[in-house]
Amino acid sequence: MSQHTATHRRTVAATAAAAAALLAFTACSTPSTGTDPAEAAPGVTDDTVTIGTHQPLTGPAAAGYSSISAATQAYFDYVNENGGINGRAIEYLVKDDGYNPATTQTVVRELVQEDEVFAILNGLGTPTHTSVLDYLNQNEVPDLFVASGSTSWNQPDKYPFTFAFNADYVVEGAALAQYAVDESPDAVVCLLGQDDDFGDEVVEGAELVLGEGGLAEVQRYSVSNQDVTAQIGAMQAAGCEVNLLATVNGFTALAVGTAAKLGYFPKWFSSSSGGDYPTLVGFLGEDLAPKLLQGFTSTNYLPFSPDGEWTALFRQINDEYNDGAPFDGNTVYGMSVGYLFAEALAAAGDDPTRQGLVDAISSGDLVGNGILPLSFGSDSHAAYLGVGITTVDQGVQDFVGTTYALEGDEVATVEAEPVPLEGEGIPGAE
Amino acid sequence: MDRLLFLLATGLARGAIFALFALSLVLIWRAARIVNFAQGAMAVVAVYVAFAVTGLTGSYWAGFASAIVAGAAIGFAVERGVMRFAPHDSPLSGVIIAIGLVMVLQSALGILFGATVRPMEVPFDERPIVIAGVPVLSPYDLFVLVVAVAVMAALGVLFTRTSLGLQLRASAFAPEVSRLLGVRVSRMLTIGWMLSAAVAALAALLLVPTELGLSPHSTDVLFVYAFTVAVVGGLDSPPGALLGGLVVGVLMSLVTGYLGATVAPIAVLVLLVVVLLVRPGGIFSARQVRQA
Repeated sequence: MSQHTATHRRTVAATAAAAAALLAFTACSTPSTGTDPAEAAPGVTDDTVTIGTHQPLTGPAAAGYSSISAATQAYFDYVNENGGINGRAIEYLVKDDGYNPATTQTVVRELVQEDEVFAILNGLGTPTHTSVLDYLNQNEVPDLFVASGSTSWNQPDKYPFTFAFNADYVVEGAALAQYAVDESPDAVVCLLGQDDDFGDEVVEGAELVLGEGGLAEVQRYSVSNQDVTAQIGAMQAAGCEVNLLATVNGFTALAVGTAAKLGYFPKWFSSSSGGDYPTLVGFLGEDLAPKLLQGFTSTNYLPFSPDGEWTALFRQINDEYNDGAPFDGNTVYGMSVGYLFAEALAAAGDDPTRQGLVDAISSGDLVGNGILPLSFGSDSHAAYLGVGITTVDQGVQDFVGTTYALEGDEVATVEAEPVPLEGEGIPGAE
Repeated sequence: MDRLLFLLATGLARGAIFALFALSLVLIWRAARIVNFAQGAMAVVAVYVAFAVTGLTGSYWAGFASAIVAGAAIGFAVERGVMRFAPHDSPLSGVIIAIGLVMVLQSALGILFGATVRPMEVPFDERPIVIAGVPVLSPYDLFVLVVAVAVMAALGVLFTRTSLGLQLRASAFAPEVSRLLGVRVSRMLTIGWMLSAAVAALAALLLVPTELGLSPHSTDVLFVYAFTVAVVGGLDSPPGALLGGLVVGVLMSLVTGYLGATVAPIAVLVLLVVVLLVRPGGIFSARQVRQA
């Protein structure tokens, strides 16, 4: 490792010296020829841009998330087939980290040092990505649209190269609690959460609305034990009527299934990370899921409505470029990430540099495809500070039309502003 | 009081599965003096077979039977095809080969069937029977308990009352002498593996419907807890596996219920450390010192 760093330092020194020399030349004589500034940006050639990511393709987390990078890849294939962005094809290097932070560190260093990627896109997971946050920022590698709802990614002063993608867990917790209060003001509201930042931040958000101690019962689960009977039993005994869930999809299914076995049928309000209906059907089975999940409430910030134009386009891309893989929330998510990156790359201009890419996102001009405007700006690296409420009816999950945004510590009801589909879903195309 | 009863009942049902899987580890240890780290992965392959058979025939019981048969077949294949060639001079070589086998089996399942989790149905009511206002065991939990006890009783009879059992025990404890007396030791070893893998497959088959569902990693955590159970109970002792399983199951449930889910694995670890300090051979060990 130290060797790599030393090599890197030497490279930096050499580059700096070369740059200084070049400056001296240009300062004193005729314009130099042949030194295209684009050559300085790693991962960018005349006709390609290479970016990378770390994803759990194997291991226990693969079941929930391995389809995301495949969807992003399919979207890039679609873009490349149609001429790419500013004439460049996007090459997406997907490395498997097995959701193990130690492996994440290795593969991300490989991507940056050996593959010389232009940027890291959509690295997945809070514990995994946290382990490379300092490294990427020290090396000034754009670290775009992290796939996790942790609030860590939104620290522009500390981590100027890192940008979030998900609506963060505090926003989701606040929105779910607000919806619970608006819909059933007298209900006993409780929470089941993962025993890490995910659970903590949703509790934090919920307490913004309900006040300190406003949750009648808070139960935690650990991913190392796939038995939540004790926790669900406690919630049942406490008389919980609305249960907020800070759970991944598997544990959402487990919670709902376990409660049903205990003859306990509260309302379930899940964060978007664990509230994807097609995925939950996979866990619970075709027969049981529609019954158990009738009225299941969750949040979303992406255009996943079954009859929307974005979904139609993404379905078409999924069929053509992703071998018709099962179409679910992960597909919409992965393709939306791809779209936003393509938009940022288009905005970075004909000769994109790493700083140029970061500036393009920080400008606040990006639109994305969410149901609310992006929150990116010079002092905000959060993508979405609001979410729409969704519910399942007769096996179809869709927005109910209620949308909340977190403004400071206050939850406000806002109007959704869906982005119309233009240029066949390829940014910059007319 | 209600809560205590509820937690005890939940823990008991889970403990029975730990016990059964731990028993399979004990069987291999007794037959071959190997802690088989591939036991979980081998069992999950058998559950995939059961899943396919149930899917094709529509019968849970056909799947149930096929899991046991497949388990035995995998035990046979692993012993004859892989473990037989492990050098015997160091116990580590068997362990390392087994860990390699885990990677191969889990990756192969991932390649063939994908990483998705598939729900498994059981032909039992999973709603608990309510006694005096407290939900206790469900019919499925009772079925699990009955199967666990029946399997242990059957194995007990096999080992103590039959000629095959005598030969199995003899070849495990004194292979040289047994060979001189006409026992086909290598065949006994294979039978030991087959028995063990079949029991493991059964335990995994019982566990999977109570958890998330079937994936190549369904038995990862089961193996870890069952290994703890086997060591706590004494690697040599089938009754130790039974009791250890129930103790660990109830302990996890109580700790989760009263102290929180995060603490549960730590509580199991503390139990393991305490047992190893006080009785290094496990609670039911016959001998004073373990051999590996």
